[in-house]
Amino acid sequence: MGKYIIKRVLQFIPVFLGVTLILFALQNIVPGDPIKLIGGDKALPPATELQLRVRYHLVQVDESGNAVLDENGDPVPETMWNRYVYYMTGLLHGDLGQSYQRKLPVTDIFLQKYPYTVKLAACAIVLEAIMGIGAGIISAVKRYSFWDILVTLTTSVLVAVPAFWLGMLLQLFFGVLIKDWTGGAFSLPISGAGGPSSQYQDWVHYILPAITLASVSTAYAARIMRSQLLDVMNQDYIRTAKAKGLSNRAIIWKHALKNALIPVVTYIGVDFGAMLSGAILTETVFNWPGIGSEIYRAISMRDWPLVMGGVTLIVVVVMVINLLVDVSYAFLDPRIRLGGPSDKA
Amino acid sequence: MAEFKVNEPVMGRRAFVGGSLAAGSLAFLAACGQKGDGAGSGDAPATDGGKTLNYYINNPVCIDPYNVQEDQGTQVEFQLFDTLMQFDFENNELKGLAAESFDATEDATEFTFHLVEGAKFHNGDPVTAQDFVRGWTRLVSPKSAIATEYGPSEISYHLSVVEGYDALANGETDEFSGLSCPDDNTLVVKLSSAYADFAYIASHPALSPVPACAEEDAKNFYLAPVGNGPFMMKPDTKWEDGQYIDIVKFDDYYGEPAKIDGVHFIIQKDIETAYKEFQAGNLDVCDVPVAQIEAARKERGEAEYTMEDGKHMLLGAEPSAYYLVVNNNDEQFKNPDLRKGVSLAINREAICETLFKGTRTPADGIIPPGIDGYTEGAWEFSAYDVDKANEYLDKVAPMSGDSRGINVVLTYNQDGGHKEIMESVIGDLAKVGITAESETPEWSAVLEQYTAGTFQFGRLGWIADYPIMDNFLYPLFHSDSIGGDNKSGYSNAEVDKLIDEARATTDDDARIAKMKEADAIIASDCPVIPLMFYTHTLVGSDRIKNLYVDPQKKADLATCELA
Repeated sequence: MGKYIIKRVLQFIPVFLGVTLILFALQNIVPGDPIKLIGGDKALPPATELQLRVRYHLVQVDESGNAVLDENGDPVPETMWNRYVYYMTGLLHGDLGQSYQRKLPVTDIFLQKYPYTVKLAACAIVLEAIMGIGAGIISAVKRYSFWDILVTLTTSVLVAVPAFWLGMLLQLFFGVLIKDWTGGAFSLPISGAGGPSSQYQDWVHYILPAITLASVSTAYAARIMRSQLLDVMNQDYIRTAKAKGLSNRAIIWKHALKNALIPVVTYIGVDFGAMLSGAILTETVFNWPGIGSEIYRAISMRDWPLVMGGVTLIVVVVMVINLLVDVSYAFLDPRIRLGGPSDKA
Repeated sequence: MAEFKVNEPVMGRRAFVGGSLAAGSLAFLAACGQKGDGAGSGDAPATDGGKTLNYYINNPVCIDPYNVQEDQGTQVEFQLFDTLMQFDFENNELKGLAAESFDATEDATEFTFHLVEGAKFHNGDPVTAQDFVRGWTRLVSPKSAIATEYGPSEISYHLSVVEGYDALANGETDEFSGLSCPDDNTLVVKLSSAYADFAYIASHPALSPVPACAEEDAKNFYLAPVGNGPFMMKPDTKWEDGQYIDIVKFDDYYGEPAKIDGVHFIIQKDIETAYKEFQAGNLDVCDVPVAQIEAARKERGEAEYTMEDGKHMLLGAEPSAYYLVVNNNDEQFKNPDLRKGVSLAINREAICETLFKGTRTPADGIIPPGIDGYTEGAWEFSAYDVDKANEYLDKVAPMSGDSRGINVVLTYNQDGGHKEIMESVIGDLAKVGITAESETPEWSAVLEQYTAGTFQFGRLGWIADYPIMDNFLYPLFHSDSIGGDNKSGYSNAEVDKLIDEARATTDDDARIAKMKEADAIIASDCPVIPLMFYTHTLVGSDRIKNLYVDPQKKADLATCELA
């Protein structure tokens, strides 16, 4: 197992280099000058524009740090390779560069915002695991009962409803309408992540965004759980267990569930990775200070250091989550031997 | 899971689960209320001190004067800092703020500001002329501590008329040679060329004084600036990126102290969400989404710039113009008759009414009302007149069937609601036989084309930094601005001469007369096509007894009164 993990961690390196290189190549292909975008409707003074290009290693400089000019007096763009080297050197020193638009160091931005993304993702994933797996089990065990139909119907609706719309409904109901009806005695926060000036406890701010973020995936998780469990219940070994006279409860909890869980765990794991990459819609609707909307904006404004930093972070997080999911298989199903001889064959 | 006991009594566990669920939801309901005593008193947000205003802003670019540019960051910075002068839109005059008065030499190249005595920064330091020199120097110098930490200012152009600007901006020196302080309360500014309106520049929020700590601890100052204004950053707080900024009343303020205890700026990404917060009573001042404007006008009671009881919806005209930028060097558009024909063919009224519910006004020139020197109907070709449009277009290409065979490309960015406006324009042009095709790359690519001059016509907005004619005519039409903001590439020696002369004229009336003359010549050439003037749409809660928001959308929060 230890060897397997080391092997997987070492595989991170080529994947990481590949992803960042592709992104760097994209910077050269995608139209739009990030420095011109800083000015927007108003043009930047030429001297300032050049200083910014020098600062962000976008043009070549001589030994004294001045921009190299060509025969027309225009600055010479820095090569992609050199910029990549700058980036990687910075990265190894823990420096992700500075956001073109926001001016702040990229590491500062993520250090401030990433905890919010992680906390929200954690709440949503716990909700998703409990509700999804729970609903899936109930509807499989009580197949064709009222509960089964309820779960099937609810999940169909949730899958079809866009998350942001659900979020807006929740805001309207819990934030505005209930507040009116109860004369202000009860309400949930509409947006934000709390803080000293909020009238609510910080944790209350997580309720609606977490429900919204988890909604669609919970529905999927419930459906996967249901079909898997039904599948497993038809297996021979379950019949054997029944023949041995085990109670239904014991069969489900001890024999069926573990085997049925693997695809659900895979799904939830992948979903957790996706949530940790930020949730653009949920963050926008609830004004959540996470990284999703930050990266989205950075892409449209060609704020490359922020995009690169975000991708670097997401790549690492997703790779780690995938590793954890793979390792968890071994616990769920002893037949799966990570890194064993069968793997190598 | 392996320790699961098959023979566990079933009911006991169910009762346990059910019981804990019920208990849990009860606790949840109880705890979900508000903080502290939990008495959610409806519309009054529970913040410390009863008189705190909850104000909506979008994510600011910067709240440090060295790079303050858009209206959101300015809103905060304006409360924290006082510049030398301030334009009083109500009385249409420039008034002293941190300066009592100023003198200008006859040739408009030297300005002397006399500071108010006894003013203090929020940290207790006295405000001296040196602090203005420090503030202005760090705005321009790429070597200042703030520029080293966060990059050079993008708005150093404000001071480009001051002597020594180039040397300082290029990093050749650390001293701003055009600035000097004979004593602590006198600031002398030497200009490199005449600029009679310099006192207006000096009223821009970016030109605020900063205390010594701004350079000694630039990293923290950027997020929690220390100024000389009526409000200060709440002690031990900073700008919480994407969340909020808290400011409180500054007790040692040299002027009239603020009437409220503080302001809680809530930073929101999405206006729809912000408006829901307003409806729930958690925001006192908020922008209105276009879809809600009509309802808000009816419910909240209209006013222009001042909120009062029963008048909590502000619809104030702003000194900014939305226009079609036309490439004057383009094969087709270098023909002025085509520009004039296009301009006359556009139904501006319809765009303002249908798309903006009357919250924008049709442009009748490039200078918006509210700017000294605005003339009604200043641009002849900004009127809507299809017959006249056809007259001019016939000179370009005669109508055959329902087309003139004129094909043009309109380049713009689709986001930000521009698509609908541009489609309306294209529809109007089709009626006079011009086929306009949209090209809608992303904003970054659009800007690149505008700058490189590889476009036919497009759209831009111009928001004045200073409420003077010069701030429209010089950047948009002077040939010195080509390569910068003059994206149409318009160049007219006569216009250049008139603007330069106006800049050297200290007499207000004579200067404005010259500017009007220049405006008239530009109008007859029709280098760009003005479409609309902006109006801001703000709503306030019933708590607000009095709040003035000026045309530049800067709220005078120090005079705001709460119930």
